[in-house]
Amino acid sequence: MNAINPVMGAKAEVKQNLEVADNQVTVGSCFTEAPKMTMRNVNVFYDDKQAIHNVSVDIAKNEVIAMIGPSGCGKSTFLRSLNRMNDTVESCRVEGEICMDGENLYAPKLDVVELRARVGMVFQKPNPFPKSIYDNVAYGPKIHGLADTRVDLDEIVENSLRKASLWEEVKERLHQSGTGLSGGQQQRLCIARAIAVSPEVILMDEPCSALDPIATAKIEELIEELSQNFTIAIVTHSMQQAARVSHRTAYFHLGRLIEVNPTEQVFTMPEHELTEAYITGRFG
Amino acid sequence: MTKPVNTPVNNLQKIRKSLSRRNRSEWLFRWYGRLAIFIGLVAVTVLFTDIVSKGHGAFRIAYLQLEVEYNRDLIGVDNLTDPEQLILGNWQAVPKQALRQQFPDVSGRSDKRKLYGLVSNGSGFDLKDRLLANPMLLGTRETVWVLADDDIDTYYKSWLDGEPYAARLSDKQVKWIGELHDQGKIRLQFNSNLFTRGDSREPEQAGIRGAVMGSLFTLLLTLMLSFPIGVAAAIYLEEFAPKNGWTDFIEVNINNLAAVPSIIFGLLGLAIFINFFHVPRSVPIVGGLVLTLMTLPTIIITSRAAIKSVPPSIREAALGMGASKYQMVLHHVLPLALPGMLTGAIIGMAQALGESAPLLMIGMVAFIVDIPGGFSDPATVLPVQIFLWADSPERAFIEKTSAAIMVLLSFLIVMNTSAVWLRKRLERRW
Repeated sequence: MNAINPVMGAKAEVKQNLEVADNQVTVGSCFTEAPKMTMRNVNVFYDDKQAIHNVSVDIAKNEVIAMIGPSGCGKSTFLRSLNRMNDTVESCRVEGEICMDGENLYAPKLDVVELRARVGMVFQKPNPFPKSIYDNVAYGPKIHGLADTRVDLDEIVENSLRKASLWEEVKERLHQSGTGLSGGQQQRLCIARAIAVSPEVILMDEPCSALDPIATAKIEELIEELSQNFTIAIVTHSMQQAARVSHRTAYFHLGRLIEVNPTEQVFTMPEHELTEAYITGRFG
Repeated sequence: MTKPVNTPVNNLQKIRKSLSRRNRSEWLFRWYGRLAIFIGLVAVTVLFTDIVSKGHGAFRIAYLQLEVEYNRDLIGVDNLTDPEQLILGNWQAVPKQALRQQFPDVSGRSDKRKLYGLVSNGSGFDLKDRLLANPMLLGTRETVWVLADDDIDTYYKSWLDGEPYAARLSDKQVKWIGELHDQGKIRLQFNSNLFTRGDSREPEQAGIRGAVMGSLFTLLLTLMLSFPIGVAAAIYLEEFAPKNGWTDFIEVNINNLAAVPSIIFGLLGLAIFINFFHVPRSVPIVGGLVLTLMTLPTIIITSRAAIKSVPPSIREAALGMGASKYQMVLHHVLPLALPGMLTGAIIGMAQALGESAPLLMIGMVAFIVDIPGGFSDPATVLPVQIFLWADSPERAFIEKTSAAIMVLLSFLIVMNTSAVWLRKRLERRW
C-alpha cells in the first residue's frame, strides 16, 4: 500500500514473555495517502480497565484491512469504536481522535444514526431480523428514507441481494422469514442488509466464525467483490482468511497495535517479532 | 497404612457405588414431584366438585304452570301505551287470581297469603312484560309458566333429590306443591334470570348480569390504563433509563408494590380518588383506577422480563443499521416482547378480576339492582357479588353463590388459557 511513513519506529524491544512495553510504538506502514478513516492516539477503556492503548492507524479508501491477533487483544473493541457501537456499552469510554473524511466521529454534534448509516456493520453471529428476507434488506432504506417509491425499494433490495450474491438463492422466497435461511445465507443476508444503505465503510466482526468452510469461501469471495466499491475493515481469527481477503493487515496484541503492513509482507516477512511469533503459531 | 490408589478398576467400583446412590435420589425426587402434583390436583378437584355440586342447581329453577287472565278491570289497565296506567296497574293480581282458580278450596287471609307465596313476588311484572311484548293478549286467557318463589324452588329441588327441606314452608304449601307436581304443573327450567338480571333481595329474581357488566367496565378501564402505562414504564426502565442508584431504587419499590396487600390499594383509592378528587363512589371508574394501581407492578415486571428476553443481537443489528434507539425499540424489541407482555397483562387482568378486598373500600359492595350501562354507573363486581350472596341469609343464595363462583372461575380459566395460547402462538424463534 501507499506507505508514506514507512518507519514509525524502530523495532521495539520486546520482553521475552511476550508482554508489551508501555511505550510500544506501532511498526510498519500505518498511514496512507488519501485515507478514508484516520485514527490517532485512540484509547478505549471499560471502566478503569484500558482495552486499547494509543492506537494510530489509517484506513485507505476501498481497501480491505484485516485485524488479527490473539483472543482478548482488543481488535473487536477497536472495530466497534469505528461506528460507535461501543456507545451501547455503558462502561465504555473512547479517547483520542477517530475521523472519517476529516470529520471527528466523536464530536458532540455528530449524530450516531447518520454515522451508522455511513459505516455499516456485519456481526460475528448472523443476526437477521425475525422478519421476511425482503423486509430485512429494506429496513435500512426505509428508516433512512432512501427509497421514494415501492419500485425504488424493490430495486434497492434486488441490487443489494445481488451484490451479496444471494439473489439467485432467495428471489423466489423474498417474503419468507430471514431466520429460515442457512447460516451462510443468513450472513450474506446481513451483508446485503448492510450494503442496502450504501455505506462508505463496512465493518465486519469475525463474519465467518460461525460458518462452515464452504459458506466461508463464499463470504470471502464476496468481500473481494465488495472491496471495489466499499472500504472494509474486517476482524478475523483466521490468519488464512486475512491472507486471502485483505490488502493490509494490522496485528493487535494486548490492546496495542503492534504492526501494520501490506498483507503479503506481514505473512512472509513480519517486521515485529511478536507478529512473527503469532503467525508462525508460537502462541495465540 | 497406604492410601488406596485410584486404579481404573477401583475407579469403576467407586463410580458404580455412587451410581446406585445417584439413581436412588433421582427416583426419590421424581416421586416427590409426582406427589406434589397429585396433592395439587386433589385440592383443585375437591374445590371444583364442591362448588359444582353446590352450584349446579342454580342453573335450573322451579316454574309453576298457571292459567292466567289478563283482565282489564283486575289489573286496572285498558291502554298499554299509557305509562301512568302501567305503573299503577295491579300486576301481581294476575298470578294471584290464577292461583285462586287453581286452588278454589283455599279460604281465609292467612291461607291465601300462603297460596300467593307459591309464586315469586316479581311474577306479576314478568307477566306485564309478556303482555307488553304482545298487546293482543290483553283481555284474554293463556297458560303460562311463572317463576316460583325461592322457598318453593329450594323445597321442590330438595324433594326431587329425595331429601325434602321444608324449613319455611307450611304443611299446606307442601301439600299444594305435591298436587301441582302430580298434575305436572311444576317443573324445573333453565334459569335464564341468572344471566339476564341484576341483583335482587329475592333469590329467585337475582342474577349476575349487573356484576358481570360491572366487572367488564372495571376491567376494561384497568386494561386501558395499566397496559400502556406499564409497558411504557417497562420500556423506559429497560431501554432508556441510566442504570444507577435511582433505577435500582425504583425497581425495588415496584417489586414492593407487587407485594402490598390489595386492601391497602383500596384505602389509597378511597383517600385519593374519592376523598381528594371527589370521584363518585361505587363506580367502575374508581374501581378501575384502584385495580390499575394494583395491576401495574405485575405488568411492569412481566414486561421487563419480556424485553430482557429479546436477544441483544437483534438490538445490535438494528443499531448497526443506523436505527435510532426509539426505532430499535419500536420496530424490533417491542414486537418480539409483545407476546410476553400480553401474557403478563392477561395474568394481571385475571388477578384484577378476582379481586374484591380493595373494591370493598371504595363502595363497590353496595346493593345495586340496576345493570350498569357505563363507567360512571354504580356497580359491583363478580367477586364482591359472591361475597354479598354468601353473606345473605336465604338458603337459595347458597347455590347462587356457588353458581357465581363457577362463572367467575370459568372467566379465569378462559383468560389463563388464552394467555397460554397467546404465548405458544406468538412465540418466535430466532
